[in-house]
Amino acid sequence: MSAHATLLSPGPLCTIQDLGRRQGRREGLAPGGALDQRAFLWANRLLENAPDAPALEVTLGGLKIAFESETVIALTGADCEATVEGRGAGNWRTVRIQPGQTLRLGYSSSGLRAYVGFSGGLAAPEFFGSASIVIRDGLPSPLDRALESGQPLFWVGGSRSSPPRSVPIQYRAGPADSIELPFISGYEWEQFTVEDHVRFMSTTWVVGEASDRVATRLAGANLESGPKELDSVPLIDGTVQVPGDGAPLVFMRDRPTIGGYPKLGSVDPVALDLLAQARPGTVVQFVATDPAAARARLRRRETFFGFESI
Amino acid sequence: MIEFPGPRSALVSLPVTPNQDGIARVLSLERAALEALPGLCATIPAFNRLLIEGAAKDWDPEHVEAVMGPLLERCLHETVSLIDGPTISIPVCYDPDLGPDLSEVARVNELTNEEVARLHSGTVYTVLATGFAPGFAYLGDLDDQLAVPRRPSPRSRVEAGSVGLADRRTGVYPSAGPGGWQLIGRVPPSFFSDAQTRLTRFEPGGRVEFRPIARHEYEAEAG
Repeated sequence: MSAHATLLSPGPLCTIQDLGRRQGRREGLAPGGALDQRAFLWANRLLENAPDAPALEVTLGGLKIAFESETVIALTGADCEATVEGRGAGNWRTVRIQPGQTLRLGYSSSGLRAYVGFSGGLAAPEFFGSASIVIRDGLPSPLDRALESGQPLFWVGGSRSSPPRSVPIQYRAGPADSIELPFISGYEWEQFTVEDHVRFMSTTWVVGEASDRVATRLAGANLESGPKELDSVPLIDGTVQVPGDGAPLVFMRDRPTIGGYPKLGSVDPVALDLLAQARPGTVVQFVATDPAAARARLRRRETFFGFESI
Repeated sequence: MIEFPGPRSALVSLPVTPNQDGIARVLSLERAALEALPGLCATIPAFNRLLIEGAAKDWDPEHVEAVMGPLLERCLHETVSLIDGPTISIPVCYDPDLGPDLSEVARVNELTNEEVARLHSGTVYTVLATGFAPGFAYLGDLDDQLAVPRRPSPRSRVEAGSVGLADRRTGVYPSAGPGGWQLIGRVPPSFFSDAQTRLTRFEPGGRVEFRPIARHEYEAEAG
């Protein structure tokens, strides 16, 4: 079977993602999945795909795809000034592609991660019920590595004759130089001093260079209290952990399942999308929320997009 | 103690020692939770804790607490045992070249290298937790004659297959990476070649033993 398209250039980091692994965390596998879930979900919604249909997560841009079949794709997330045959293709919308055409993504000037959805979703090998590539987990090949030039791409849907669709302006995430993250205190929070509580909530944190799909690292202050010797504790999405150097990090989708450093609590999972687009240097401020409010936000998202979080 | 660290998660901490008995109680609680709270998305048992995660649409913390409270109470007082399963046998070459801390572990415990190997391989361990890296299992309890603290500063690179120990725990690094445990031997690389097996070999509550192999057997396996 000839490929529907060929990846000519993956850019700095291009992976296949869906909503992540529903199973496997008990065995120590990361959840994985699209980091900016909202942008990913919009790509599939525009295409009338299943919410968890695999798509490309493109970090920073630099992508080039040569299409051999007619199809419809969707572009969401960071704006990489996509072009098809040199003509601007826009963002947060579907794009009809003819055989022989080439899609190019430039480099995003704001935001970090763009999503390219395909009609019906990419056909991709699965492990533990998910096509998500998690590089740090050492999954069976080819789920253990980023996509490379020459990668053939296949998708499940045909070329539908649906009219072009786009995400209403008010739902498009704009670039942000500073973000607020709703935070739920928990885990070893009570074992930190009040001074550190205040420091954590009042510091204007800055996203560090070493951030990746595993964790967003923050700089701006060092927390000094908290327990020193801990057995590893099961983690949840967005857990805020304070390693030995005292600079907190927020665990993202490729995180470990247990962690032995002291933990302050967790970031509202819906707000992790903001962090997924936060470039190094982005300013971060935590604001207190509670589990019920975060659950209501998560529930609204699940209802709107028609899925259940893993 | 039951806490709610996120919008649809509960973390249950058992006031028990994080050893074989502890994980047995946690696993008993996990089975009871799965029965009493249908629709749970995920459970992660580790040491003396259990994380349960539900669906946002029907997660009710008050209900979870009301159900889990009595189950927790019960699992603390019942007689528990681990479910019988096969014991995983792991070949290890105890050799100072392959386990750079072997001689030091022997020295601080006033043992010979051979005695360290004999004591380490003379115990059937229980998987107390999985994670850290996929395919890594925290195994306990280590014979108290082998107890050593972790290294003062972690190594930036530990070779895949390294057998480490720290405090009353031991384990095998499934892939190369940083690590702070004292290294006393190495498992042949062939043991990790199949990704599926490597990732899913260990399960909390499972049994593991180490089988000493000679250097030439290690080399033959290592190719």
